[in-house]
Order: sequence, then C-alpha cells, then structure tokens
Amino acid sequence: MDSKLEWNRRKFIKGAAVLGAAPLFAGEIAAKRGRAMAQDRDKSQIPSGTVPKKQLGRTGVQVSAMGLGGYHLGSVTTDQAAVEIVAKALDHWVTFFDNAWEYHDGLSEERLGKALKGKRDQAFVMTKVCTHGRDKKVAMRMLEESLRRLQTDHLDLWQIHEVVYYNDPDLIFAPSGAAEALADAKQQGKVRFVGFTGHKDPEIHLKMLAHDFAFDTVQMPLNCCDATFRSFETQVLPEAQRRGVAALGMKSLGGSGELIRHGVVTPEQGLRYAMSLPVATTISGVDSMEVLDQNLRVAVNFQPLDEPAMQQLRERARPFAADGRNELFKMTTKYDGKVGREQHHMPTAQQLPL
Amino acid sequence: MRKFGRAEAKISALGFGGHHLGDAPDEKTAIEMIHQAVDGGITFFDNCWEYRRGKTEIWMGAGLRGRRDKVFLMTKTCPHGRDASLALEMLEESLRRFQTDHLDLWQVHGMGFDNDPELFIRPNGAAEALTRAKKDGKVRFVGFTGHKNPKVHLGMLETGFPFDAVQMPLNAFDANFRSFEQQVLPELLKRGIAPLGMKPLSGHGEPISQGVITAEEALRYAMSLPVATTISGVDSLEVLHQNLQIAQNFTPMTEAEMNALRERVRPEAGDGRFELYKLSLKFDNPEARLAHGFPIDTQQSEVKDMLGAEMNTGHPFPDKQF
Repeated sequence: MDSKLEWNRRKFIKGAAVLGAAPLFAGEIAAKRGRAMAQDRDKSQIPSGTVPKKQLGRTGVQVSAMGLGGYHLGSVTTDQAAVEIVAKALDHWVTFFDNAWEYHDGLSEERLGKALKGKRDQAFVMTKVCTHGRDKKVAMRMLEESLRRLQTDHLDLWQIHEVVYYNDPDLIFAPSGAAEALADAKQQGKVRFVGFTGHKDPEIHLKMLAHDFAFDTVQMPLNCCDATFRSFETQVLPEAQRRGVAALGMKSLGGSGELIRHGVVTPEQGLRYAMSLPVATTISGVDSMEVLDQNLRVAVNFQPLDEPAMQQLRERARPFAADGRNELFKMTTKYDGKVGREQHHMPTAQQLPL
Repeated sequence: MRKFGRAEAKISALGFGGHHLGDAPDEKTAIEMIHQAVDGGITFFDNCWEYRRGKTEIWMGAGLRGRRDKVFLMTKTCPHGRDASLALEMLEESLRRFQTDHLDLWQVHGMGFDNDPELFIRPNGAAEALTRAKKDGKVRFVGFTGHKNPKVHLGMLETGFPFDAVQMPLNAFDANFRSFEQQVLPELLKRGIAPLGMKPLSGHGEPISQGVITAEEALRYAMSLPVATTISGVDSLEVLHQNLQIAQNFTPMTEAEMNALRERVRPEAGDGRFELYKLSLKFDNPEARLAHGFPIDTQQSEVKDMLGAEMNTGHPFPDKQF
C-alpha cells in the first residue's frame, strides 16, 4: 500500500479514538488532542514495520533495501545529531551503513563508530579506501585507520572509492595496486566482502568489471535521469547482474537533490524509482531527522514500482536528463573529492568547482 | 598555405585564435597583433560571438580594417540548442562587430553536450541557420566546433549535414585520452571535411609551464597532423612572435617523432589533467551553461564581463574586473 495512504488511514483511526474517549472538560480534551497529534506527527509519519531486506548478490548475506549514506554524517553540526540519526535508522532496521576513509577527514567514520557502539552486530558496515592510484601499502594503512575510527575489528564491506578517472582501472590493477589490498584484507579476515564505487562514466565501471576480479559489490549512481543519460542502469547494472556482483545504488536524487530542485520528481518518486531497480540497497545521505523520516516513509514496508510506473518516471525525466544538468557528477568535477584530485594532479575544488 | 578540405580555398597552417585576443592589454595592442599576424603570413582568423561579450570580434574587426580581403575570417554562433532565428541574429551582430558583409567560415560553437546533435538538426535548429546564411551569401563555408567528447562530434557528423569544416582539440595529450585524433580526424578526412585543430598548447599552456612539453614540440605536433590549420590563441606580441617563428620554420614531425612524443606524455595524459575541457565545465561559456541548464562560474572571464557590463561605466568593456 502507498505509504501516504497508510499514514492517512492510521491518522484517521487514531483521531477517531481520541474523539471517542471518556468525556472530559473541553480544555482538557483540546490539550490531550494537541499532545496526541504532536506525538502522532512525530511517530506515525513513518508507518510501523521495517525496512525490508534484500540479497547482497551471491554473498548469502542480506542487507536493508535502504542504506544510510556516510558523507552527510560528517555534515551535521554535532556528534550527537549524527548518533541520533544512526540510532533512529537502526530502529527501523536500516542495517547498511556507508562511509569512506576520506569523508570529512575521518569525522564521518568516527561518528559512525560512536553511533554503533554496542550495536555493531546489528549493522552491516561498509567503508571505502581512497588510494586513488597509490599502492596497496597505503590501502592497508587506511584500512587500519578506518577500523580504529569505526571502533571495530572488521568491515562487512570494503570498497575502492571514487573510480572516476579514466586511468584508474589501470592503476588499481597494476602490480601492488589497490586490487591486491582488497584480496589481502579479505584473506586476513579484516573485511568480509569487497567492491568498488564511482560516479563518472559507465565505461570506467565496465573496464573495472572486465578485469574479472572477484568483486562482491559495485556501487554506482542510479536515478531516473541516469536511465536515459550515460546510463549506469542500462550499461553497468545488467553486467553486474550477469556476473553475480551485487549492485549498490547511490545519488537517487541527483547527489544534492538536483532532481527535486528542478522539479523532475518528488523525493518519494526519486527514491522509489532507485529502490525498485535490481539493486541490493540504495544508499541515501541524510543530514537531518526530517530527511531521515522522509526516507523511512518510503523505505519501511517498501514495495517496488511496477515496470509501467518505472517507464513513466523515465519518460518524465528524459527531457531533464539529456544534457546531464541534473547529474553534475558525470558532467563536472563537482563531486570529485580532494584526495583523488591531488593524486591525479587536478585543480582543487576551489580552483575548479565544476 | 594549406587546402581547406575539398573546397577551393587555401588557409594558413597556423590560425590566430580569437579568445585570447580579449586578454590583450588594450585595443591598440590587439590591433598591432593582428597587423603583425597578417604581415607574418597568418590568414586564418578565429573568433566567436560569445567571446568576451563581443570585445574580441570588435577588436579583430578594427585590426582587419583595410586587410579584410587578405584573410579567411571565421566566427562562431552560439545558440547552444536554441533556434535558428537566434543563430542568425548572432550572425548579424558578428558581421556588424567585424565591419564586414560576409564571413569565410561560420561555425556552430561548443558542441559538447550529448543532446547537442539532436538539438542542432531538429526543425528550427541551428542547421537551418547555416543553410540559410550560406544561401544568402553571408557566409562561404559552415562547420561546427567542440572540445568535450569525440562521441558528440561523431553524433554531429551522423546528422548528415554537409559541413565544410569541423574544429576540435588536437595535441599530444589528446592522442592518448578520449582522442579526437583517433576517433574524429580519420572520419573527417574520409568525408573530405576540413579539420581545424585547436588547443595545441592544451588551452592555456599548462603542460608547458609545468615543463612536461615545450611550446615548440606542442605546436609542431599539432601542425604535423593532417589538418587544414592549427588555431593557437595569442594574448601578446611575444606569444605571436614565438608562434610565427615556429610556424615560419615549420617542418612536419616524422611519424616516429610524433609517436615518441605521444608515448612520452602518456603518463600525464591518462587522467585528463591537461585536458580539463574534456572533463569539466571550465571551458564552457555561460551561454552554453545557461542554455543547457548548468550552473555558471563567477570566476570565468565571460561571467566577469557580464557582471562588469552591469557597472554601466559608459565603456563597452569596463576595464575594472572583480
């Protein structure tokens, strides 16, 4: 059932129950109703139930259909706010937690570590390694740092971050490159599964996959604009499926809500579209409780859209997709991180914002 | 002098890039640069409607007064997917700024977005403007330019429109990375379309200032390719003299020399660090960005010019920049 309908139905029932209560003075009734409605707004925006689980490729493990993006954990103002976001996500059975060694110079990992204290077993923890072409020694050092910040002795998933430069596959698979670090870490039991991520060009992803390395996962931008523009959905997703590599979706709303701002879709439509694709999870960054609630309203009890509804959204997005204006991560340097730029001798974000 | 594709025209092997003319200290210097370029044997002059809010076309027009017949004058129109009528309005403005009644070559500027070919060839698109201008005798030849993606160039060729010229970045870095040299150049030669090279020094000479390649190697490499001309931007008399010297003493590199240079710069070419025009919006003008719905950048010279124009100093190109 549509989550919005569900919520209206529940609100109606609850409202009726309040009205049917034992007679009280008018003022008391009003006060009680006010309290009940405030409570109602807080809680029942999110339907009861849980975020469903999905298979993570051929690993035999299940993860939540929605994942919590790690970058934004470093953007919120306080540690406490980040801890509360993680706690609430876990309450609704969001179990997949994304992060990266380079997010906010480690703050994102530290906050996730703090938030998962005593709850590590409930979570599927992923972080990313940021060698950006450097050798496996650098990668292993980053792994140790990530483990320390995350306050854990192992990762569930460790991915090579931001494979977005056209020579990255060559550098990653060079002797003593990052690919060897993934294999070593897995063998040492420090990470259960391995993968890679990137937001630039399906061509680069396909080059990575063509190396026949035993990747368990591959992360990519998936949204209704991507469907018709330099499309990961049509070029990479089928190849990942064919290889039994679990696909992880990201940038469901364009990276910074571009799809919403430009009126392509509502947040609900954008998330639903991404989550209805054959992916293990859709990672969505959350920088406030409001955004988390908005995401949970879609993710709890999630039912995928049918193909005609998907096609309708693709068609709706097509005119907004054709020149890449809503997918700046493919067309500009805006989403290319500091460490990668340094390693590839690119100008800084300040010098070259786009 | 080289043959301009299959057409009955010849142009100089080195072309004078119009964008950098806007960086000359003043109009007097710009005019002097153009005079010396013509005297030095350059006949191909590049420009564009959207460069520096018209300043470069006006300065070039002033420099070519009395010399118009000696040169092959090109400028570009900037509808960026919008209608033919807009492209033709831009043509009239360019002709006025140049103080001429015709162009030798008129090109559609900045084809770099994936939907540009589709927008170009649609009913009322810029293709109709090119046909119209040629028929009316306002332009002798037509073409298109772009610096972003060989696939977009090939998409433009696939529209089947009869282009006389196609402009693209050609340098030793390009040879290794999303290569116009490998993907587009052979196709143009097959079709008898005049290839025009640009960005021989990678845009602003970054690999030269970083010591990866010398200006002479870079320019010689680009000019040794099978192109009708190599357009190089000139912002000072010193650079003009340097370019003229290289061009006047030009002997083509052998294939072995070219290959050695490609191999030498390969490590710096693979991630595109010296070809930011392929990877970012840095070289995309505000007209292109706005027409395609992208953000503009206040650090870009054209955007500064736009903001400067609002200062209403009474001068067409306020010198004060901020």
